[in-house]
Amino acid sequence: MNLVQRAVSNGGKLAPLVIPNGLTSGTGLMNPSIFIDDEGDILVNLRHVNYTLYHAENNQLFPSRWGPLSYLHPEKDQRLVTENYLCRLDKNLEMVSYTKVEMLNLHEPIWEFVGLEDARIVQWDGDYYLIGVRRDTTTNGQGRMEYSKIELNKSEWGAKEVSRVRIPAPGEDNSYCEKNWVPINDKPYHFVKWTMPTELVQADPSTPSSKQIALKHTPPAPIDQRGSSHVIKWGSMYISITHEVDLFKNYLQQKDGIYRHRVCVWDEQFNFVGLSKPFSFLDGRIEFCVGASVLEGDLLISFGFQDNAAFILRTPKAVVEDLIMEALAYEN
Amino acid sequence: MKIEELVVLLSKDPFNPQLNFDCAVEYERLNQTASAVSFYLRTAEYGNGVLVYNSLLKVARCFEDQNDRVNTVTNCILQAIAYDPSYPDAWFVLAQFHERQGNWQECYTFAEVGLGKVSAPLLPANVGYLGEYCLKFEKAVSAWWIGRKKESQVLLTKLSAEDIADEYKIAVKSNMERIGLVAI
Repeated sequence: MNLVQRAVSNGGKLAPLVIPNGLTSGTGLMNPSIFIDDEGDILVNLRHVNYTLYHAENNQLFPSRWGPLSYLHPEKDQRLVTENYLCRLDKNLEMVSYTKVEMLNLHEPIWEFVGLEDARIVQWDGDYYLIGVRRDTTTNGQGRMEYSKIELNKSEWGAKEVSRVRIPAPGEDNSYCEKNWVPINDKPYHFVKWTMPTELVQADPSTPSSKQIALKHTPPAPIDQRGSSHVIKWGSMYISITHEVDLFKNYLQQKDGIYRHRVCVWDEQFNFVGLSKPFSFLDGRIEFCVGASVLEGDLLISFGFQDNAAFILRTPKAVVEDLIMEALAYEN
Repeated sequence: MKIEELVVLLSKDPFNPQLNFDCAVEYERLNQTASAVSFYLRTAEYGNGVLVYNSLLKVARCFEDQNDRVNTVTNCILQAIAYDPSYPDAWFVLAQFHERQGNWQECYTFAEVGLGKVSAPLLPANVGYLGEYCLKFEKAVSAWWIGRKKESQVLLTKLSAEDIADEYKIAVKSNMERIGLVAI
């Protein structure tokens, strides 16, 4: 049973996120990130891309010209461009406000992936940040996590980037791509950089610098567990939704992939406690969770479907507890 | 039904082609063509019969709406034709696509092929084909540009006397005026 069905049949709610056409040209709205700020506003950063993911599932009888999985950007524009919309939801998860985040024009993009991708929204020390990966600053697409500090005008609902900091990787800073560091909501500037083993890093936006502050042993991962949602406090534990991906090629050597998610559980010192079984949200092959936040004891999970649609799933506490119990039984 | 209800229904039976199709139609109505593409593709891959055919043409329409995806648009139309060449709809969509590209011979040819297949029932979701007159219109317009002036005039004149949708009435009248004909 997929998680949407499980959540809704236990009293949860699914909320599709849609921004009126005319702003977005109909192309993908995806990978939303949810956060509840200190005034109780439910905020969502919604990623908009200039492409449409074409993904043929099942027997793949109807692939695109470029295979079963293709990013269909405009044919005269090879770039894959991301922009971000900051939205506010009411308690029923209806979108009541949205605005395109006005980004600083700091440089000319010099790689095909343009913009701040899969940004998680947080509010730390009173400041709002979008924290995602940017790959357009070098000619080879090197990815680094970036802090984009956001000034949010709640009365007129406007959002603009006021500063940007590119975070070097810890140590020698010689890796190709850093992405999906997931923020720990109640520990400003701290991230889970890797899940199993659990690597915690602190990234100082003022320096800027990052350092590894812990590397915790875990049992072997069944498959690499990558960062997805924020890390949030759940009772006396920390939990986060992780993702795993099976990338493969068909007989024509065309790429394809399947994404699944799990819940990872740690104690308060970030010692690994368990990992749930894999689940899907809607039984799509490509789904991606980028956020989680607690509302009235339930877990709000934000996820994208096939890079083309965005949803918030209110997951009842009992369902989350079941997933955690499943995680506690993890053996590998 | 709102999109929220439709997706919740789908979550209970996620590979059901009709439920995927319903989600796609609603997303398309909301002008969310990328979202619609995903659900139309699922309909095509998990479905059978006319829903598959209809979905492939809808994918083409969605990409056409996004502009500058002509290779993808034609690929989807060709997949629909290969799936069932007996329907006129895909031939019409292909002819209209070439009309918009100014590929007049292609437009004329595919309209002519489609005119040989006019007895199929209407599709569950409209792809723009409203009846045989749509193909006649494509043929009439393209005929003008490939040197078949008389044929174009005759077709347009006949169309002006037919019971056709308002958008076509306007288009026929406009085309006739441009070439100096008077509508009946």
